[in-house]
Amino acid sequence: MDAVTYPNGKVAEFIEKNFIPLRVRFDAQPLASDFKVTWTPTLVTGDANGQEHHRTVGFLAPEELIPSLLLGLAKIHFDQNQFEAALSQLEKLLADYPKSDSSPEAIYLRGVSWYKSTHSAKPLKEAYEQLQKVYPSSEWAKRAAPYRLL
Amino acid sequence: MAKFKWETEWKEALARARAEKKPVLIDFFNPG
Repeated sequence: MDAVTYPNGKVAEFIEKNFIPLRVRFDAQPLASDFKVTWTPTLVTGDANGQEHHRTVGFLAPEELIPSLLLGLAKIHFDQNQFEAALSQLEKLLADYPKSDSSPEAIYLRGVSWYKSTHSAKPLKEAYEQLQKVYPSSEWAKRAAPYRLL
Repeated sequence: MAKFKWETEWKEALARARAEKKPVLIDFFNPG
């Protein structure tokens, strides 16, 4: 991460703009135990109260870290029932990083966010259809499979 | 290197997060 990802200008700008970044050793106590860290790098996205909403384990290239962090921001809003804000982050992720590894989950979460904000089942079925079309072998296509019946 | 500055203390990072209304990004790393 230090050699490739963090020195990347886009990454640095994104983190500076959107987060308070904290770096601690993997064995720093009590934090490492509190967050059940077992491997490095472990990246945790948390809200301003320190509550975890998203994590990744392992190296991420710049073109994967930014969409992963966008997904983390979306999850914070989603978990706080702020669905419009969640959708804004998810749309940005899918527009700017459509082929990232975070995209299938973003499509799924976008469908659920739309459903929760509109109570219409249509976005869930659309999420399933898009996942089947673009990411048919992803775990998120499997998780969305029941929505084909809606 | 990165242009941003890492916080190194949990309490200080949380205080900044609340004051600036931003989420936190925690990197648990192995210094090698």
